[in-house]
Amino acid sequence: MARKLTITVDHNLCVGNAMCETIAPKVFVLNDDRQSEAVDPTADTEENILEAAENCPVSAIKVVDADTGETLFP
Amino acid sequence: MLTAISDDMFSTDVIADPYPYYDRLRDEDPVHWNEKYQTWIITRHDDLTWMTRHHELFSSAVFRNDPKPPYPEIDESDLGLYDEFVRLYQADQFIQHDRPEHLEMRKVIHGYFTPKSMEEWRPFVQSAIKELLDRVQDKGHMDVMRDFATPLPVMVIAEMMGVPPEGRAYIRELAEKLLYIGRGEPDRMKPLSEGMRGMEEYVSPMVDERLVNPGTDFISVLAGGERDGIFNRHQVLVNTSLLLLAGHETTINLLCNGTLAFIEHPDQWDLLKADKGDSLPPLLNRATEECLRYDAPVKSIQRIASEDVEMRGKLIRKDERIRWFITPANRDPNKFDNPETFDIARWPNPHVAFGSGIHHCLGAGIARLEGQEAFKALVERFPKLRLDTDQLEYQPSITFRSLKSLPVSWN
Repeated sequence: MARKLTITVDHNLCVGNAMCETIAPKVFVLNDDRQSEAVDPTADTEENILEAAENCPVSAIKVVDADTGETLFP
Repeated sequence: MLTAISDDMFSTDVIADPYPYYDRLRDEDPVHWNEKYQTWIITRHDDLTWMTRHHELFSSAVFRNDPKPPYPEIDESDLGLYDEFVRLYQADQFIQHDRPEHLEMRKVIHGYFTPKSMEEWRPFVQSAIKELLDRVQDKGHMDVMRDFATPLPVMVIAEMMGVPPEGRAYIRELAEKLLYIGRGEPDRMKPLSEGMRGMEEYVSPMVDERLVNPGTDFISVLAGGERDGIFNRHQVLVNTSLLLLAGHETTINLLCNGTLAFIEHPDQWDLLKADKGDSLPPLLNRATEECLRYDAPVKSIQRIASEDVEMRGKLIRKDERIRWFITPANRDPNKFDNPETFDIARWPNPHVAFGSGIHHCLGAGIARLEGQEAFKALVERFPKLRLDTDQLEYQPSITFRSLKSLPVSWN
């Protein structure tokens, strides 16, 4: 059973580079302002989600273990 | 009644101080048709952000798609050189592509430049800074441009390319020729094309070698793209030279313009001096962002309309040129409180020094890191830093905000 994740995208930082959407398109979707929203944290593997976060050029994506509160990225 | 806005973006006044000119455009005619150079000028922060994030409407393939000759005018005898060589060279840069090709190309090198990967370069950057400042410390003075801001990013980018230290001077020599791309001299195609040819000749054997013995440098990464069929050889060479140039010219300007901003605002220099590193994000990081906002290294970037688009009641027609300006967008009062104030504690700081959208600067992470480490070292070693001239001159470029020199002393 995969652990539950809480994913947040800081819109003060997000520049709509869209690499997260490329890597995990079911999790990250661009909104009307073309900024990323984490719409479904269960829609991809933890590995892919962490890869998407790591590839954000402005470190806007934070991934936390929803149960323990442990920060998984950054 | 408004007086007409001059269209000469290369005039001495506008080069020396672009702010009054572009700020006025932003406030009075934010989607401006520049008749002289036949291009739209975009100056508002929200327009710039909207435009760069709607890449399907505004093509980045400017050199491929622009039917017009370059501006300002070049020597007529060089039009062939432009069409048959320079244009084709530039068109192969990955940044001169749209989706879907752009995404495939960017994916080859994106991973190399993530913030996390760039962190691994911090120790190298710190030791390079130490080496450079050790050389000038006892003299009591330096030209920030010549002695610090230029060699530092060249050392970093050469190391990333896997070029040995003795190759650095030649890399800078080629880069200076490549910089003519944003200039206004009518005969600029000659030095520019010399730089391009020189780069091809210099890098080609390195690519051959890295195809056989791949390393961890970015020429190996680009060569991997050739092996995977995403880049052809010309594209590998052109993109190596792009990363080489973009990877340091911009940072040079961040270091010089940022240092100058600190010298002109001693209260902010004192704030940085007194910093205990206890704010989040750290003051040093915020200060670097404010340097990027306040006097951005890159002034403008081009696009070309992919279809007819209306902006603020103006009709931009398919294939018309557009140039969006970071300089006034970073001081847009609709986006920033007290935009004219150099405030190193400013946060959040949604400046657009690195652009926005899918083409957001690939090297932002290393530029930020070099800025942070450079300002930290300067404030620690030269707390009494002061300007040694009252005559500052800028390169006559519409693309870069680039000082010719920045003499300082500290005793």
